[in-house]
Amino acid sequence: MKKHDAHQMLVACITEHKADFYRLAFSYVKNQEDALDIVQESIKKALISMDSIKDIQSIKSWLYKIVVRTAIDFLRKHKRLTLVNDEALEYLSSGREDQYEDIDLKQAMDQLPVKYKTIIILRFFEDLKMDEIAEIIEENVNTVKTRLYRALNLLRITMTEEDLEQ
Amino acid sequence: MNEKIEKLKKQYHDILIPDELDDVVAQALSSHPRKKKFYIWPSAIAAAAAIIFITTVNVSPGAANAMAKIPVLGKVVEVITFDELKQEENHSRIDVKTPSISGLENKGLQTSLNEKYIKENERLYEQFKKEMKTLQKGEKGNVAVSSGYDIITDTDDLLVVHRYVEESRASTSSVNQYDTIDKKHEVLVTLPSLFKDKRYIKVISENIKQQMKDQMKHEEGKIYWLTEEDMDPFKEIADNQSFYITKDHKLRIVFDKYKVAPGYMGNIEFEIPTGVISNLLVGKRYIH
Repeated sequence: MKKHDAHQMLVACITEHKADFYRLAFSYVKNQEDALDIVQESIKKALISMDSIKDIQSIKSWLYKIVVRTAIDFLRKHKRLTLVNDEALEYLSSGREDQYEDIDLKQAMDQLPVKYKTIIILRFFEDLKMDEIAEIIEENVNTVKTRLYRALNLLRITMTEEDLEQ
Repeated sequence: MNEKIEKLKKQYHDILIPDELDDVVAQALSSHPRKKKFYIWPSAIAAAAAIIFITTVNVSPGAANAMAKIPVLGKVVEVITFDELKQEENHSRIDVKTPSISGLENKGLQTSLNEKYIKENERLYEQFKKEMKTLQKGEKGNVAVSSGYDIITDTDDLLVVHRYVEESRASTSSVNQYDTIDKKHEVLVTLPSLFKDKRYIKVISENIKQQMKDQMKHEEGKIYWLTEEDMDPFKEIADNQSFYITKDHKLRIVFDKYKVAPGYMGNIEFEIPTGVISNLLVGKRYIH
């Protein structure tokens, strides 16, 4: 691929989707300052490894991938990545529904382990396709599906097959 | 779509975008972190745009260009410039220098190497001519092809001929090849032939990864594609990975530009400590 083309595409794509990247970063770190840092760091990484872009079509997913990785790295470095053990998962999934459904739902989403949260965000909030998500998290499509079901399960959301695939 | 998901989605999209985002993005985009310019066209060539300039220099053996002349048990194995060709037209230029090895008694080896050198440069020239033909009248090609060689190691035992091809079109590429010749036994040394078995691939790869990590940790600006977040991280060397042996008998593994690091890092070399591979080596003759 011609380099200056790649650079232009990259700049265009970043400019167009900067708000998406910010929201994505924010949903992991939950504060403005860190989210901005992650966006900045991700752009720098993207510029540095620009040579490895092979397909112009996939620039957007590639950038999502960098943001997700950078955010997870950030959490790890700052030890804010709480590993949820089975007990906690059990607790999450067994909780009764109460009348404060909205707050409950938001909390459940916040407490969702990163690997599940990532998939919910990319699939439903960013409207990415299953195979795009698979590429971003470097897993196969089946793993993405399994995690998506599990994530919905944890959020106590029931969906039809149709909803998931569309 | 499910009602709960809709709610979560709304919450997600309600995340406030701070005013600072524009600045942060603009700043990051303009920072060009530790990256060189992609492509520089020498102004001297621009000035010579319209002129077609052809010179062919054939240098006879023993001429001033002789690169190496080391007597080995009464025989002289040397590398000279067999042919040099320069041409400039349409904002484009080619400069290829073809080496030629002489003095080996193993004529088969000598001829096959020399023929390979000639053939590869001929191909570069043919390609260049073809490209020039496809240009419209007055159109600028902006192509530069340059190929040459140098002698990296020349000891009593070993001769290493390094050949490089640099091509710049819209982007630049650089390919390096090394031929390591055992002058005494008159054989071409390949990477697999140095080792008892295939274990070397893993051992060398692991050592390189460690060196990459160490360099990235201690030296600002060093970047290798190693982590999972890179599109195509370095996993292991090819079984016939480019390599050469230094005059100090050390093994060096070579990667072309872009292969394991961003372009600005150029061609990459790693010296493998002999201790790491010593029990895998067939013998200690070349590497110790």
